[in-house]
Amino acid sequence: MSAENHIVIIGSGGAGSEAALTIRQRDPDCHITQITGSKLPFISRYELPQVFNGVSGWRELLAEPPEYYDKNQITVRRNSWVDHVDAKNKKVLLKHKEEVSYDKLLVASGGGGYLPEGLREFQPLMNGFGTYEQAVKVRQALPKKGHVIMLGGDMTGLDLARTLVAVGHRVSLVVGEQLFWPHEVTDDQRAKFVSVLEDMGIKVMIDKKVTAVKLGGRGKPARRVVFDGGGGIDGDVVMPFCGLMPSLNFMIGADVDIERGLLVNPELKTTNDSIWAAGDVCQIWSPEENSYLFYYGWHYIKEMGKIAAINMTGGKKKISTYQDDHLYINKQGEIDSPYWMYR
Amino acid sequence: MSDKPISKVYLEEGETFSSSQSFGERIVTPVRFSTDPRDIGWVRENVPCQTACPAGTNIPAYIRMITEKRFGRSYELNRIANVLPGVLGRICSRPCEDACRHGWPGNGEPVGICHLKRVATDFKSDGHRINESLFTPTHKRIVIVGSGPAGIAAAHDLSTLGHDILIFERERKTGGMLSYGIPEFRLPRDELDIELRNALRLGVEIQTGVGVGNGEMDVSLAWLRLHHDAVLLATGCMAAIPLPLDGFKKGEDDPVLNTPNVEYGLDFLMDLHRGEKKAVGKRVFVVGAGFTALDCARVARRLGAEEVTIHLRTTEEYIPVAKEEIFEAKREGIEILGLRTPTRLITGPDGSLKGVTFIQNRLGGWRKNGRRQAIPIEGSQFDEACDTLLVAIGQKSINDYIDVELRLDEWGNVKIDENGMTSADGLFAAGDFVRGASTVVEAVGHGRKIALKMDAWLMGYERRKEVVKIENIDGPLRERAYDFIPRQEMPTSNLQDRCKGLATEVEEGMDLEGAFEEAKRCYLCYHRYQIDVDNCIYCRACIEVAPRDCIKLVEGVDINKDGTYGALQEASDWNKVGAIWIDNNECIRCGACFMVCPTKCISITKNEIYPQDVSVKGKGMNGTKRKPKR
Repeated sequence: MSAENHIVIIGSGGAGSEAALTIRQRDPDCHITQITGSKLPFISRYELPQVFNGVSGWRELLAEPPEYYDKNQITVRRNSWVDHVDAKNKKVLLKHKEEVSYDKLLVASGGGGYLPEGLREFQPLMNGFGTYEQAVKVRQALPKKGHVIMLGGDMTGLDLARTLVAVGHRVSLVVGEQLFWPHEVTDDQRAKFVSVLEDMGIKVMIDKKVTAVKLGGRGKPARRVVFDGGGGIDGDVVMPFCGLMPSLNFMIGADVDIERGLLVNPELKTTNDSIWAAGDVCQIWSPEENSYLFYYGWHYIKEMGKIAAINMTGGKKKISTYQDDHLYINKQGEIDSPYWMYR
Repeated sequence: MSDKPISKVYLEEGETFSSSQSFGERIVTPVRFSTDPRDIGWVRENVPCQTACPAGTNIPAYIRMITEKRFGRSYELNRIANVLPGVLGRICSRPCEDACRHGWPGNGEPVGICHLKRVATDFKSDGHRINESLFTPTHKRIVIVGSGPAGIAAAHDLSTLGHDILIFERERKTGGMLSYGIPEFRLPRDELDIELRNALRLGVEIQTGVGVGNGEMDVSLAWLRLHHDAVLLATGCMAAIPLPLDGFKKGEDDPVLNTPNVEYGLDFLMDLHRGEKKAVGKRVFVVGAGFTALDCARVARRLGAEEVTIHLRTTEEYIPVAKEEIFEAKREGIEILGLRTPTRLITGPDGSLKGVTFIQNRLGGWRKNGRRQAIPIEGSQFDEACDTLLVAIGQKSINDYIDVELRLDEWGNVKIDENGMTSADGLFAAGDFVRGASTVVEAVGHGRKIALKMDAWLMGYERRKEVVKIENIDGPLRERAYDFIPRQEMPTSNLQDRCKGLATEVEEGMDLEGAFEEAKRCYLCYHRYQIDVDNCIYCRACIEVAPRDCIKLVEGVDINKDGTYGALQEASDWNKVGAIWIDNNECIRCGACFMVCPTKCISITKNEIYPQDVSVKGKGMNGTKRKPKR
């Protein structure tokens, strides 16, 4: 490969980081630039619950030490937000007006926490949990033996709930459609898994529809979640865990096909010859299902990054679109899955 | 101070304003009118919102009036181009916002042009009086068939041009799709009523509940043509396009019409607005991607449906509906799923609907009409359960009431020539009836366009032409800080309350503070920045301060075949620099160059497309002979 070959990766999460390393291993000369909105180098979101478990600084959570990027000659552009991609001229335009040219582009921008449209107006009163900074904010907002109200109940939230309960906080879960997302469970399984959550010390509230999130009253916890038909629940922090939404607004108009995610073939190539996608942002064509599907889970995300990188550097490898995603209760009595990483 | 009246200086074509012209202490704005194709082309290219507006609304001008708190004037500027600002300020499909320079890559989000149109309507004074510029009566009698947006716009413009208008409307109420197709929670009927009345108050006669056609109680088109100088057909697209289910052949019984709880969305909405009581099941599917589909889904939600899903052939990105409407629908709990086409209705033993079989699609190329193709994937059928299906995949015109043979286009729509006339003499056609199903603003724009052509045909010459009105501006009217104001949100009604009935308006209108902030965001693209090369000292100060690559050293500028400006020939070598040129396409009218120029060689002018009256030698404006001067 030519030294002039510039591969730009949008995103520095699991898929983007795995791709960067794989590309470097396969092409020692190319120029790799990773663009990320994060102010910090890569921290896995699966590690974030550790913020409540004695971790005192972000350095302890870094997936790789800072020198790793120097060693592998990977330029990481932190705190840089992509405004749009000019596919015709092969340029990534950043919000601060800088243009970054590429020869090949990998979009691995992941997904942000999905907040149902009906709850969007209450977003300022809720805490996200996708970055280290957000995790620290939650920690700061929680008093000792604080009360966290979770809305939805996706697997990221349940993972955090486990840690919060273990360190002495209370967790109430207002169940939404996204309970156990991205897993799909039958009604029978659901009842079984809910009882596991209750055994863990989580208060599970079923059949409650949230209509508003408000500031708490004087002398009361900081937030109040109001239910349809009256009534509500007070808590120190309200956190939505309603699944992920691909972060791809900047790709609209970039000459690639989008449904909910970037549509890619099993080689993870988009409909543009110079653009690939990997991770939570892409919807992969599944020949078995005759449909474009999202695939989740730490291991699979990394695999996507690897395969995209192989194909971007001259390989021709397809990703397996079969995924065993059944949820089960393991020997320790915990909810577990073949691909979800808890610990 | 002088007590002389304030006046503007109007110059003849080719004449330039002389600063030596004295008007005492009064501030006088020199104005000139240009028919130079370069000036007309400049406005077309550089005011993208106005060019994108099918009605040609002077958008920067009305937004500027809002920043000056002149809401009445803002409303009237809207009304010059489109007689229904209060309506379109709510339900417009907003092609202007898609074109807005503020939304171009790197510039942020487009200006909330539609919301500001509503601001002009909402905040004009209670005593506001509408302005009309009326021509002398011509005694020409015109019949318009259909009182939808195209018919209304044409009727208004033709009445101001002095013609006598008679409208026939088959339904009981005027407004066409405005009254019968758009739900009240998007378009309150009192607001619609005011705007329709204002549009039709200049002596337009309306016969509602009277159809034109071959029916017993109908008026025949032949009779209307015989007794009037011209007839305009503006009956829109009032028939649903059939759902092409597997095995269904044209001419056979349509399963959509013959299956309980399955209905065309257009019929569903029309019946609802005729006063019929409509009901839906708990799990409703809507098939289609336009405003009608979205309206059906939102009405179904308000009628008690627990789950409402819109199924698209392509994807959400290509829905030709304002993004805010999609967001509000989602807030109301409506789900949108893409890449699927219904192929079969699943019915129970009693014939009732149990579900729909879909086939999975992938995205294909682009269709002729600019929409994305959906290509079904063989063997990918799947079933989904529902108890109500509303089909809104498109609409078509109905031609069976026409008792004269007319030429049709390839889609079966009546064909018109460059004069707006069908193949029958004196019979014109406008709006969706000609162009196929489109949007309200497109129908209004086309109605106006055809009205002018009818007038020219009736009078024997064009009485109005477009010129560019050019006015000097003393200095920038914007500040760079305005570029960083975020797009202001439209306040909306409480989610729980709004779904309890059909009448609670979703968009509540902006408050004044939000309106001013939003209005300030407009770049005022009709402002043209130019450098006087003779006075420029090439200090490059303007280039240094420019926030974008908008000031260029050029060898020259191409002139297109039509006389408009073409591409800039940028100079790579200093010796070849012929001029320093402001690329108004890149310019965001921040004024930084104007402020920094040491020789004041940068000028700003306001450039507006302006309808100018034309008189023909020997004829007055109404086509009659001029009286000799006394």
